Amino acid sequence: MMKKFREVILLLLLLSFVPHAEGTRYSLPGKPALTRCRSPEKETFTCWWEPGSDGGLPTTYALYYRKENSETVYECPDYHTAGKNSCFFNKNDTSIWVNYNITVVASNALGSTFSDPVDIDVVYIGEGDVEGEVVLLLIIQPDVKPNPPEKVAVTVMEDKGWPFLRVSWEPPHKADTRSGWITLIYELRVKLEGENEWEMHLAGQQKMFNIFSLRSGGRYLVQVRCKPDHGFWSEWSSASHIKVPDYFHRERSVWILITVFFAFIFLIVSWCIHINSHSLKHCILPPVPGPKIRGFDKQLLKNGKSEDIFSALVVSDFPPTSSSNYEDLLVEYLEVYIPEEQELILEESKDLHDGCLKPKGSTFDSDSGRGSCDSHTLLMDKCGEAKDDGRQTDQDGSQTGSEAQRQQAAWEQEALTYAHEDMISPDMSSGRVKTWPSVFSPLPQYSLSPLSQPSSLETAKQHCLSDSLFPPSSLSSYLTQPGQSTKEALRSSCSDFCSSNKQPLLLHPQPDARHQLQARSDVSISSISHKEAPAGLQLPTVRSTEYVEVHTVNEEDMVLLHPVPVGHSHGKGCLQTHQGEDYSKVNGVDKNNVLLLQREVMEEQVDMCPCENKDANGATESYCTSSAQKSIPCIHTALPVQEEKAVNGYVDTATMFPLPIH
Amino acid sequence: MTLFFIQRSVWALLLWPSLLTVSMPLDCKEEQGSLSGCTSISQEKLLDRVIHHAELIYRVSEESCSLFEEMFLPFPLQLQSSQAGYACITKALPMPSSKSEIQQISDKWLLHSVLMLVQSWIEPLVYLQTTMDRYDHAPDMLLNKTKWVSDKLISLEQGVVVLIKKMLDEGMLATTYSEQGLFQSDVQPEMLESVMRDYTLLSCFKKDAHKMETFLKLLKCRQTDKYNCP
Repeated sequence: MMKKFREVILLLLLLSFVPHAEGTRYSLPGKPALTRCRSPEKETFTCWWEPGSDGGLPTTYALYYRKENSETVYECPDYHTAGKNSCFFNKNDTSIWVNYNITVVASNALGSTFSDPVDIDVVYIGEGDVEGEVVLLLIIQPDVKPNPPEKVAVTVMEDKGWPFLRVSWEPPHKADTRSGWITLIYELRVKLEGENEWEMHLAGQQKMFNIFSLRSGGRYLVQVRCKPDHGFWSEWSSASHIKVPDYFHRERSVWILITVFFAFIFLIVSWCIHINSHSLKHCILPPVPGPKIRGFDKQLLKNGKSEDIFSALVVSDFPPTSSSNYEDLLVEYLEVYIPEEQELILEESKDLHDGCLKPKGSTFDSDSGRGSCDSHTLLMDKCGEAKDDGRQTDQDGSQTGSEAQRQQAAWEQEALTYAHEDMISPDMSSGRVKTWPSVFSPLPQYSLSPLSQPSSLETAKQHCLSDSLFPPSSLSSYLTQPGQSTKEALRSSCSDFCSSNKQPLLLHPQPDARHQLQARSDVSISSISHKEAPAGLQLPTVRSTEYVEVHTVNEEDMVLLHPVPVGHSHGKGCLQTHQGEDYSKVNGVDKNNVLLLQREVMEEQVDMCPCENKDANGATESYCTSSAQKSIPCIHTALPVQEEKAVNGYVDTATMFPLPIH
Repeated sequence: MTLFFIQRSVWALLLWPSLLTVSMPLDCKEEQGSLSGCTSISQEKLLDRVIHHAELIYRVSEESCSLFEEMFLPFPLQLQSSQAGYACITKALPMPSSKSEIQQISDKWLLHSVLMLVQSWIEPLVYLQTTMDRYDHAPDMLLNKTKWVSDKLISLEQGVVVLIKKMLDEGMLATTYSEQGLFQSDVQPEMLESVMRDYTLLSCFKKDAHKMETFLKLLKCRQTDKYNCP
């Protein structure tokens, strides 16, 4: 029994293995499945299927389809064009907007297996989602997947120095986009060689596209694909390579310019700081003031010898001793010794042209011989006026030039009248001599006191005019009062002289001044007549005043004087113009510090006028010495004091007074 | 996808004035007395505008269909849709189905086909509007799109009528709203049925919109180049 059981079991086992052993047993083929259908241009389409197990036997596949609204079953017209397990529907067999019911049948010797039918619309055929055997039916999504675009061409174009890529392509040759049967939209992608990321660009329905913002010198890859308006994207076209040429980035050039500019500015600023580093240091870090003790020596401090330091602190000149010269501290002033009477003269001679002399009446002296026709005070009064006028005329400039010249000529004529040897107007003479260089040619130039010509001329004119205007009453007063001030006498005499001397000057009159002279002469007649009456009073003023020049100072301290040479020597009475008379010798200096002069007559013409030179004020010494010349009975003595003073006026005070003269 | 839809909606908005011009009577033959004011559009421009219009309609309908599909149809139902048996309403219309067939059709027939299509879809779309309002959670975008499509289809019809008048010198009347109760049913269908039916409607409309677009484009091709066009 047990043996039988074992045999049965073995048989059973064998039987069980038999089916397994019969792996090669044939069966029906597996169910095929339609995987996808594609239409590139909506005119033809292709369907592919997946075969199942073949069942061990050679299996054939067939595809049948049925259009909607029709029960006619057609078989696939073309099994080979599209490859294995495919069916290709050509144009004649393709209908759009019509649902196809497609079935694949696998058959072998044993039998056939039908696949599940699939409805497709060619317009919308797409990839089927095959999910294994779970999916009972395949829904083939509509998918028209066109072929990729063809003839993709990429070129580099230039746009004002900025290159860009121009990509152009053509639709797949099968797709009929021209008629509008199928509308394709395109897309392209670009990337640099070696990179992983693509840059996508949607081109729409156009067949050309520009790509900007390229890297200079880079190599790019370009690909294009297309899609119908209701389909799927095609595959990417084959990559086109393009190299962008090197170009100079204009933005970089701008940056380079900016950098250079700022570097330049930086250089300038740093240079300026360097130049002013010192002042900047002072500004930012003011120096710490060190000890400024006079006599304090840092080195000594460093050396550490306190004794030396403190000894150095002791300043020798503190407290200040008397060694210093006080005089040095004081302002220097000129020591001028001026007797009170002479002060005026000094000042006058010095600053005649500077302005009116201030001390008008202070040093007035009653001596008649003082000064010339006029007193100092008067002269000063007139001086101020004249100066002003003179200044004004000066300021008038060339306008009055001719007038000034005329006046100058007139003045010069008048100056001649002042030939009185004694009556020398101190103020005028010194100035006059200087001021009439042109007319009085032999007149030596004074180097003593340079005075402005016109001003002195003016003053002289004024002087003279004033004198001439004096009424004869003054003369009478003079005559009656011999003790009167010299001023009046001088004045009158001056006027007389002025007027009287004008006549002889008629010989040399300036044509312009003629009338002046004549006028004056008319006036003078009366005065002269007056003058002639008092014979006793032969005023030295009758004589023409002369302007004497100081010629030299000889070794004996004698001032040699020269009378101003006058061109004419005639006149009434004692009118004389002595030429050649010169006060060339200083007789001496009396106790009053008066310089006494000797008059020497050089001329031949000697007036025999018994003129006495008498000073109304006091005794006068008159020397009438003639050295080599004829003696002059008519002694014209200069008023000693005044004359000398007057002479002093002519003479530089420096030479006059030996004392101040150093 | 969203970007695409946005593009198309922008296009639609931009074309709104052009649609108005299409819808306005552009033929001035009747007013013989008036010399001014009525400047009719040229045939080419009109055809271009009609084509562009049809393109837009197609795109919006395609987007609506896909939206609807995502929203309301589960995947298995999608599989069954093709077998649901809902035929397109325009199945009965004789339409060329291939390029070769279209090559044999005259211009007149093409235009008439387009007109038939347009006129046959006006009413169903209105119905679709009403049914979709009943849906819960229907996205506004979907509703707006279907509404928009429905409106633009009317404009397209007017344009095609004018085009026919211009090209074929035929007078035609625009369709009047028929009171067909084909799509009116008192009985509320089931949700699933309704969904399926609406989805079928949308997809069929999408197909026909594409047909219209293609026909018009072919027509244009024929206008410019008679011999190379299908």
